[in-house]
Amino acid sequence: MEPLAETPWDVTISGTGLAQSLLALALSRSGKKVLHVDRNSYYGGSEAAFSLQEAQEWASKVNGEPEHYPFEDATVYLPEGTPQLPTRSYTLTLSPHLIYSKSRLLPTLVASKVYRQLEFQAVGSWWIHKPSSADGALVLYRVPGSREDVFADDIISVKSKRTLMRFLRHIGKPPSDSDSEAEEENLAMSLPEYLASKFQVPAELHEPLLSLSLSQASPGQTSAEYAVPRIKRHLASIGVFGPGFGSLLAKWGGGSEISQVGCRALAVGGGVYVLNAGVKSISNHQSEDGDDMRVQLHLSNDETIKTKLLVGSNWDLPGQERPACDKVARSITVVSSALESLFPVTADGGPVPAGAVVVFPGSSFDQSGDLPPVYLLVHSSETGECPSGQCVIYGSVSHAGAQGQSLIESAVHRLLQSNAEPDAKVLWSLRYTQLGLSSNGANARSSKFEGPSSNILCFPPPSLDLAFDDALIDRVKDAWQLVMGDKANEQEFMNFEDREHADDED
Amino acid sequence: MSEATSTNTPKPSSSVKLVLLGEAAVGKSSLVLRFVNNDFQENKEPTIGAAFLTQKCSLPTRTIKFEIWDTAGQERFASLAPMYYRNAQAALVVYDVTKPSSLTKAKHWVAELQRQASPGIVIALVGNKLDLTNDGNEASGEPQVDGEQQPPAATADEDDAAGEPQEEQDATPGDARKVSTREASSYADEEGLLFFETSAKTGVNVVEVFTAIANAIPESSLKSGRGAGAGTGQTTLGGGRPAEDSRVNLGDRSTATAKEGCAC
Repeated sequence: MEPLAETPWDVTISGTGLAQSLLALALSRSGKKVLHVDRNSYYGGSEAAFSLQEAQEWASKVNGEPEHYPFEDATVYLPEGTPQLPTRSYTLTLSPHLIYSKSRLLPTLVASKVYRQLEFQAVGSWWIHKPSSADGALVLYRVPGSREDVFADDIISVKSKRTLMRFLRHIGKPPSDSDSEAEEENLAMSLPEYLASKFQVPAELHEPLLSLSLSQASPGQTSAEYAVPRIKRHLASIGVFGPGFGSLLAKWGGGSEISQVGCRALAVGGGVYVLNAGVKSISNHQSEDGDDMRVQLHLSNDETIKTKLLVGSNWDLPGQERPACDKVARSITVVSSALESLFPVTADGGPVPAGAVVVFPGSSFDQSGDLPPVYLLVHSSETGECPSGQCVIYGSVSHAGAQGQSLIESAVHRLLQSNAEPDAKVLWSLRYTQLGLSSNGANARSSKFEGPSSNILCFPPPSLDLAFDDALIDRVKDAWQLVMGDKANEQEFMNFEDREHADDED
Repeated sequence: MSEATSTNTPKPSSSVKLVLLGEAAVGKSSLVLRFVNNDFQENKEPTIGAAFLTQKCSLPTRTIKFEIWDTAGQERFASLAPMYYRNAQAALVVYDVTKPSSLTKAKHWVAELQRQASPGIVIALVGNKLDLTNDGNEASGEPQVDGEQQPPAATADEDDAAGEPQEEQDATPGDARKVSTREASSYADEEGLLFFETSAKTGVNVVEVFTAIANAIPESSLKSGRGAGAGTGQTTLGGGRPAEDSRVNLGDRSTATAKEGCAC
């Protein structure tokens, strides 16, 4: 293999996060000479997955070199008296996103043929905290996610059911059937106002419906315009890949697995991979032999290479200004209980869910305030992320810093208390602040590429959405088009034949 | 793709991710080619990039579907390995019996796997190019029959009664062997590895390697994968369920149910 320096690279991709790795997948049959580097010793960038030991190392790096990571304030918390845990029995992911069945990511993974290397599991139930009137003890209430659920529900009153059904029927209508212009006007209010004024949905159902939108803002701060299409997406996704569930997770570490599959695809296609080699500096390089403009990159492994294009993120490219980002508090918690009751099979013939969503509305912490909800994405050991008999809880609240962390912590404790196993406890926890673009926020659709020159493409910061954000596919496509130039044929984007020896139906 | 729906198969079927590691040109890709296609290419070009292949291995009680990741071609950077061995349930670490440095490299890989890979990963050490030795020449006339009837040449961890069929094989004219069976096999013993000498060219022992790996994968790891065996009792969630129960098949996009939730 020729040295890196002697190859005239068409594209150098810096960083192996999900965006870069999907671009790698998109370029895996392009015939372009692609060099894919990462300053880290692992794949996945800000979507990586770690053993306990690696997570600890990651936390030190985040705190030590904040300019290189869209994360801050990472700390590992070990409760006293916790036994030594087998570090490599865990695959804890920075990217536990759930993927809606209707997400464009799934057909993309199928058309590009890499889905065979992934294993998907169902996210089954949405649970919401409901204080019981008697003693204030925690009750988790299963949010009805389909009309069948509503019928089967024995908590909602018949009258409420009727209003709820009316709402669900309304948003389930195909757009052509409704007077769309009138609808849009009515969406300029908060979701609770919308539900109450338009459908007379009683207040006690507002939070459950809001949870289906995965909105990270408080009810008053969540517009109907934002939430309604997302609730629609939730309902429309149910049943697409099987009965009783509408969203998926990728086994073995979520986005990290998808990143790795993208990188493998490019490696199979001839791309060259070098870890522990970040882009240290960029200089313009006028080639002597013609009009071929290339930039010269100095890598942190002391190699110097020339490339026509450089693609990365703000954290993988040198000299990039930090973009305006939102911040959320997140944590990854390993608990000593399987929390079995969170993962019931949700429909006859449906799969055993490996994921569940548990929502603690802000009002469950502080009635008077306007706190955002805490979301706990709970992954069972079926995900391969922890040993059996345990669970991994991915917590998120749109309130960075100590207060956000204490909200998540309190939510985790209440969840454990609500569980039948009385001695369930936290075994290990990683807490951090994540930077990115909030799906509710004003920055949400910051699009296209920025960069100091036409040779350098910079992906926007990662989405903080709890569900995979399809906009990422658009950004990857933009990058792919810029790389391919005139040769970009939309039909060919991520649309590949099986490679030789690929396993057909058997 | 569809274990869940595959036809009339009473035997449970499990996927096993297997990675191939080893120095360049020891014959990693050739071993896989022999296993998957029962084929061999003389003077095979180095693999460009990497490769992914699958092959089934039928055991008396179950079918193992190997998903084989070949890291070939990029050994120089050693950068593909981390993404390959994560979650791998088995690894085939290959060296060339005519090249001592390749065994040294193989030992590095074994150490790396023991440090970084999943706990409980099944590692097989494989000395390839047996056809270039005198032992291999004897065997080279045999046709490759697929099946379990050929006794393995040497398996480190099965029963020691088998001993080492190829004892002293040094310095016979025409024998290119530079790594003795004894040296590699005692190393494999120490490290608890399966051990075979193979020839991808003649097919000797190739199927046996994969069959031995398939047999060595613990039942528990087939059920719940990587976390198994590392933690607590098996009575809780996941303990009794076959892995496929939680699997969602993207090929199953069902149009019939896609409208659930819509208006009546």
